[in-house]
Amino acid sequence: MNLPVISIGRKRSFPPRVTAHTERFWRSLENGQFETSQCNDCGKKTFPPKPFCPHCWSKDLTWAPLGRFGRLYSQTVIHAAPAVFRSEAPYRVCIVDLDEGLRLATLLMADQPPVLDARLEIVALRYLDGPLFAARPLPHSSHLVSELLPPS
Amino acid sequence: MPKAVAILGAAALPVGKWQTPSDSPTQLLEHEVLASLVVDATRDGGVERTDIGSLAFSLPRPYTQQKYFGTFMANYLRLPCGACVSETMGNGMTAGLAFEAACNEIRLGRTKVALALGINFETATSAAEHMMRSMRTTGDVDFHVPFGFTPISWYAMDAARYIHEFKSSREELASVAVKNRRHASLNPLAQFRKPITLEEVLSQAPIVEPLGLYEVPPRSDGAVCLVLADEDVARASGRPYVRIRGRGFYHEGAHQINEIPNDMIALLAARTAGRSAYEEAGVTPEDIDLAEVYAPCTIIEVLVSEALGFAPRGKGAAMAKAGETTLGGRIPICTSGGLQSRGHPAYVTPFYSFVEVMDQLRNRAGQRQVQNARLAVTSAELGNYNAALVHVFEAVQ
Repeated sequence: MNLPVISIGRKRSFPPRVTAHTERFWRSLENGQFETSQCNDCGKKTFPPKPFCPHCWSKDLTWAPLGRFGRLYSQTVIHAAPAVFRSEAPYRVCIVDLDEGLRLATLLMADQPPVLDARLEIVALRYLDGPLFAARPLPHSSHLVSELLPPS
Repeated sequence: MPKAVAILGAAALPVGKWQTPSDSPTQLLEHEVLASLVVDATRDGGVERTDIGSLAFSLPRPYTQQKYFGTFMANYLRLPCGACVSETMGNGMTAGLAFEAACNEIRLGRTKVALALGINFETATSAAEHMMRSMRTTGDVDFHVPFGFTPISWYAMDAARYIHEFKSSREELASVAVKNRRHASLNPLAQFRKPITLEEVLSQAPIVEPLGLYEVPPRSDGAVCLVLADEDVARASGRPYVRIRGRGFYHEGAHQINEIPNDMIALLAARTAGRSAYEEAGVTPEDIDLAEVYAPCTIIEVLVSEALGFAPRGKGAAMAKAGETTLGGRIPICTSGGLQSRGHPAYVTPFYSFVEVMDQLRNRAGQRQVQNARLAVTSAELGNYNAALVHVFEAVQ
């Protein structure tokens, strides 16, 4: 398990569709594992996971763990929400640059807006009907020594 | 050598709320509205209906009951076409792509006259229902939408990043909305025409932080018909016309965010497409008299003004605040009122930009006329400006 897991006592508002390929990602996430597809030819990871490599178009892929740390590239609070999210509004979302050089967008679990470029970690969210993931600021106390080093 | 293409004439519905609720005893229907504009536009352009060999439609919204709208309109207009009848879709770029489809029929020599036209009716559909569709138009339906992202939330994150990187402020960005409303107050086609103050913009309810109600686009209905012609036809008409002098397109191969971290607010696609358009036109940004850019939110106008070379990187917001992009300023931007105030009937929005440029370059923009306007630029986009379509237009008297 490489992600903290947080239980959420309700169903997801807009569940993602699961494919034969992405099923592995969601199942791992449910168990606190963050992983994605990696190309056996060019070695690059891609996110979201794909059944081919978008960099070299190889179809020879494997699954590889994805580190949970990154930094906050940007964020916003959504007040005007689509019908299925209305009961959650306002909610905070963000763009995260993972230390492994991948960018993703997700929920930001923070009461106060962290300063952009702040260190974040990815967490697994275990809803009643399945998983999602989110980012949250790294509390000072939980900084690992490796976290104080600049991103590679 | 491809043929040069000219805009000869146009007719447009004032942007606003036109769509009738489905239970209304009397309906205002899309084909009747658009047919009326076709008649007006061909008169404005001085062409005969028998000259028209191609119809390039923007796709209507899904709320339009008459499906296969383009081919239905060919029937409704009783207009046989020997070149092409098409209906095009590409989110915010839709009308830009329909414009291109019409131009290409002329460039290829298949017809001398083509219409680029379309209608976007949506306001009788509730925001809640509309957003259930629109939230799936940006980002990844399975890896972004489950978190609740909306189309303008991406622009809001552009704004947060811009303020952070360039020490700008919400006040600077909000000044764009004040300027655009002032422009709209002079435009009979604009949806919101009552001038507003910076304080009013800043005190509106937040929609996607840091942007409030007046810094994001409204929902709107609109319809436009443009008459395009081979330049030989335009020249022979003896009327002033507008010539397409340069065109550029670029898709960066990303949708909303690039999975490899990049500079999201550099708007690479607008930069690249702009450079191609300037190059083809043989001009530089300094030569341009006005720009009518596709900018749903204030921040996007700022970023596009930088990407198209009207402001140095990181200075676009301060430049807008200082009045350089207002009428009478160094480079007037969105003299129509832009998407916040002219309105945003999304699938036809770029058509309205072409109409504004045509009015400006034909010296018939009334109180918002840019003096001696000779060269103008337009843009349209996909995603978070992940793709851009840029045109340079020239006035021919």
